[in-house]
Amino acid sequence: MDKLKIIDANKCFSPDLEPQWIAQAQQGDQQAFHHLYQSYHRRIYALCWRMMADKDSAEDVCQEVFVQLWQKISNFRGESKFSTWLHSVATNIVLGHIRKNKTWIQRIFSIEDQPVKDTMVEMPECSNLDQKIQTLPERARLVFVLFAIEGYRHEEIANMLGMAVGTSKAQYHRARTLLRESLSE
Amino acid sequence: MKETMNADKNAEMSLQAAIAQLPKEIVPERDLWSGIDKAINQSATLADNNDKKKAFTPVAWAASIVAAVLLTWVTLGPEQLTSKPQINLVAAMQQDFEQQKQTMLVNFGAPDIKQLPVAMQTELVKLSSAQNTISKALADDPNNSDLLNLLRWTQQQELDLLNQLYSPQWQTI
Repeated sequence: MDKLKIIDANKCFSPDLEPQWIAQAQQGDQQAFHHLYQSYHRRIYALCWRMMADKDSAEDVCQEVFVQLWQKISNFRGESKFSTWLHSVATNIVLGHIRKNKTWIQRIFSIEDQPVKDTMVEMPECSNLDQKIQTLPERARLVFVLFAIEGYRHEEIANMLGMAVGTSKAQYHRARTLLRESLSE
Repeated sequence: MKETMNADKNAEMSLQAAIAQLPKEIVPERDLWSGIDKAINQSATLADNNDKKKAFTPVAWAASIVAAVLLTWVTLGPEQLTSKPQINLVAAMQQDFEQQKQTMLVNFGAPDIKQLPVAMQTELVKLSSAQNTISKALADDPNNSDLLNLLRWTQQQELDLLNQLYSPQWQTI
């Protein structure tokens, strides 16, 4: 019986099953979708948390990502890796959420939120760098997460954030400088 | 100067190392699936309702078209059915008129109309021409009662004129 359980667990977490789960989820199979959620929700939550710098908002947006994934999964044609496609969907949803929560004055004049250093909730389970990333100003943080962690190019980041490529590079440089200073303290 | 550069280099290296060691995954504190599951099932219910609406839409369209066709048939159908009898009525009126005219002329001894004064001939030609024009108009609009009455009136005018011209009573007077 125990042996059978081990075999089932291995089968469940085998990466070869992912295309099957995707195909089944595209046909409306919620069980298969749950397998995809189990595989990816921690990575998507990490993306949301790093970009939003707020635990509660990150949890809400992570849920939103998977709800929208369920609705849009039929759009996935297998032209890229599923994880790449999912991360791009998640990134767009997070950015949309950040834009939606800005006041019209902030939107028009591109005013940044203040760094969240003073209000940040300590998360001891997170790495030191993750804690420091949370203290970065919003635009520097978004560019840093997208470039250094998610692997987007500055051209893509500039397009997503509605800024010039040079601005994206400058924000990345600013983020690195701030993080270096913060880590050497 | 060199110490500053070394410090910067070390800071950069430690940052690079920290980035490389960043965990790819972070576990959320609360269970997110229950909310997702609820939202998915709600959206599935909404989708079912939309499917029902989508299925209902063609039926509604078909019913509307059938209703429109029936309404058109009920409204215009009887007129269309009577349009042919109307054309027949015009033909019957013309036939009846021709018979009356021929009977009248035979009774008057089949007189030669060309012997009539030019003014009278012109009047008869005008009446005949008017009848032709009205008949053509009735072919396009067979339900026009005004045209039917006008046709009948012109026919009667021609008969009256012939009667006046050839009736012995009138000739005596």
